[in-house]
Amino acid sequence: MSSFSTDGKSEKSLVKMVSIEKWFGKVHALEGIDFEVRCSEVVGLVGDNGAGKSTLIKVLSGYHLADKGEIYFEGKKVNIASSLHARKLGIETVYQEQALAPNLSISRNIFMGREPVRSLGFMDKKSMDRESMKALQSIGLHLRSPDALITMLSGGERQGVAIARALHFKAKLVILDEPTIALSVREARQVLEFIKQLKREGISVIFITHNLYHVFPSADRFVVLTRGEKIADIQKKDTSIDDLFELIVKPPSHN
Amino acid sequence: MVTNKKDKEKMPSGVAVAGRAKKLLNLFSYQAVGTLLVFLALILVFIFFTPHHLFVDPRNIKALAKLTPDLGIVALGVGMLMISGEFDLSVSTVLPFSSYIFVLLLRAGINPVFSLFMAMGVGALLGLLNGLITVKGHIPSFIATLGTMMFWRGVLYVHSRMWPIGIRAYFPAGSSFEHVLIGEIGGVVPAQVIWFVVFALILGVVLHFHKFGNWVYATGDNKEAARAMGINTDRVKTICFMIVGTLSGFVGVMQLLRLGSFAATQGLGFELKAIAASVVGGTSLMGGIGSIAGIFWGALTIQILENGLILMRVPVFGISAFIGLAVILFVVLNTYMRRRMMMMR
Repeated sequence: MSSFSTDGKSEKSLVKMVSIEKWFGKVHALEGIDFEVRCSEVVGLVGDNGAGKSTLIKVLSGYHLADKGEIYFEGKKVNIASSLHARKLGIETVYQEQALAPNLSISRNIFMGREPVRSLGFMDKKSMDRESMKALQSIGLHLRSPDALITMLSGGERQGVAIARALHFKAKLVILDEPTIALSVREARQVLEFIKQLKREGISVIFITHNLYHVFPSADRFVVLTRGEKIADIQKKDTSIDDLFELIVKPPSHN
Repeated sequence: MVTNKKDKEKMPSGVAVAGRAKKLLNLFSYQAVGTLLVFLALILVFIFFTPHHLFVDPRNIKALAKLTPDLGIVALGVGMLMISGEFDLSVSTVLPFSSYIFVLLLRAGINPVFSLFMAMGVGALLGLLNGLITVKGHIPSFIATLGTMMFWRGVLYVHSRMWPIGIRAYFPAGSSFEHVLIGEIGGVVPAQVIWFVVFALILGVVLHFHKFGNWVYATGDNKEAARAMGINTDRVKTICFMIVGTLSGFVGVMQLLRLGSFAATQGLGFELKAIAASVVGGTSLMGGIGSIAGIFWGALTIQILENGLILMRVPVFGISAFIGLAVILFVVLNTYMRRRMMMMR
C-alpha cells in the first residue's frame, strides 16, 4: 500500500486507513478495514450496534492502537499513539456527553486545557471570550455570552460549543460520534447545519450514527460496517436511504 | 439567545464598567449569595440575643479573630480540593503531625523559620502521599484519607506519647518570628487574620484567574472531558492534596504558637468542620462547583455560629446539633438558590 502517495486520485486524501485489524481478547472487532476520508468530505459511518464503528474511530483518534494496519494522514504514514497526538495532527473527536464540563462557562470549556495565558500562567480572559464568540459565530451559533454555563444550554447548542472548539483549534478532521442522539428534532437540525458549515470551512467530517435520516442529507459518501467488516463504501448519488437500510440489516456474506 | 453582532462591537463604555462591576460582584458572591446573607443575619441575631451583647464585645471579637483562621485556612485548601472532586479527612492528623515536627526541630536547636518550612514540607509530603494513594490506587479519597488520618495519628500518638511539649523553653517570647505569625498589627488586628486573608487571596487568584484553576474546575466537573482535552487530572488532584497538606502544616505551627504548647489533639474535628465550612460556602460534594469567597464566608459562618451559641449559653453538646442543622439548612438554601438562578437565565 506504499503506492498511496503516487496514486494520483483526483481528490486529495486527508486520512487513509489500510487493512486495520483490532482484537479484544478473542473478539475480532475490526477485520481488515480500509477507510478513507478526503478533504472537505462528509463521510457517514453507519452500522448497527457492535458493528465496529466506535472501535474504528477510537483507533483513528488515538484511544486504541490497531493490532495491524497502517494509517496515512495527508499522505504521510502516522502512528497515532494518543489522543493528544491525534489532536496535534488535526483530528478532533466530539463525543456525546464527554466533551464538556457542565458547570463551567462556554469560554472556559472551549479553552479547557489549552488556555491562552498572558504571564505566569494567568488566563487571558478577554481573548478567551472574544475568540469563543468568534468560533461560535463561525458555525452559525449565536449565544448571548461566553460566560453562560454549559448546563444552561440546549443539547444542540452544547454540540455546537464542542464543534466550535474543534474548529478554533484548526481541526482538519472532526469526528462526530452520535451527535444527534438524544436531541429534539429542532436541535438535531441545528447540529446538521453545523456540519454543513464545517464542510464550507473546508473541514472533513466523519459522522457516526444509527439515524440514516439525519446522516443522509449531510453526507457525501457512506461507509457501512457490519460485525467488524466493511460491506459497503458508496457515494450518495449511487444509493438511497432504503438501500443503506437494507445493507445495515443484511448479515455479512462471505464469498 | 440571539445577539446582534453590531451591538457587541460598539459596546458603550458604561456597559463595560457595569460589566466589570458585575464580574467583581460575581467573584465575591459566586454560588455563595445565600451564605453571605445568612452570615449577616447570624451576626445580627447574635448581636441582639447574646447576654449583654457579648458577641460584639471587643474581647470576644479579638478571640474570634485569633481562632477563626485556624479552621479557615485549612478549609480553603479542603474546599479547593473538593472542587477538584476529592476529599481530605487527614487534615486533623497532618496538622498536629506538622506541629510535632516543628517542636522536635525547635528542640534540636534548629532555626524556627527553617522549622516552619520543614513542618509545611512534611504537610506537603503527607498530602502528596494522599494524592498518590488516591489517583494511583484508584480508590475514593474519602477512604484513602480516612486510612492515612488513622495511620499517622497512631504514629503520632505513639511517638509523642501524647505528652504536651511547651515551646517556651526553646523559644524566647516576643521574637520577630512569633510576631509575624501571631502578633497584632497596631495592637488591634491579629496576624492570623492577615494570614487568612492572604491565603484566601492567593488561592482565589489561582482558582479563578490562573489556568491551573480552570483545570481544577474541569477535573472536578467532568474528569473525562478534562482528560480528553489533555489535562493531567491525576496531577491536578495530587497538587490540590499537597496544597491542603501545606496549609495544614502552616496552621499546625500557627496554632502551636498561640497555644504555647504542642498537643497531640490539635485540630481534632477539623476534617469534618472544614468540609462543613466548604459546603456551607456553596461547594458541591460532587466537585466542579464552589469558590474561594464562598469557602471563606463558610468558615466564618461555622465559627461565628459556634461562638454565638456558646455565648448564648447553649450547652456544649447542644452546639453540635445546631451546627449539624445549620449545615443541612445551608445546603438546601444554596441548592434552591442555584436552581432559581438557572431558571432565571
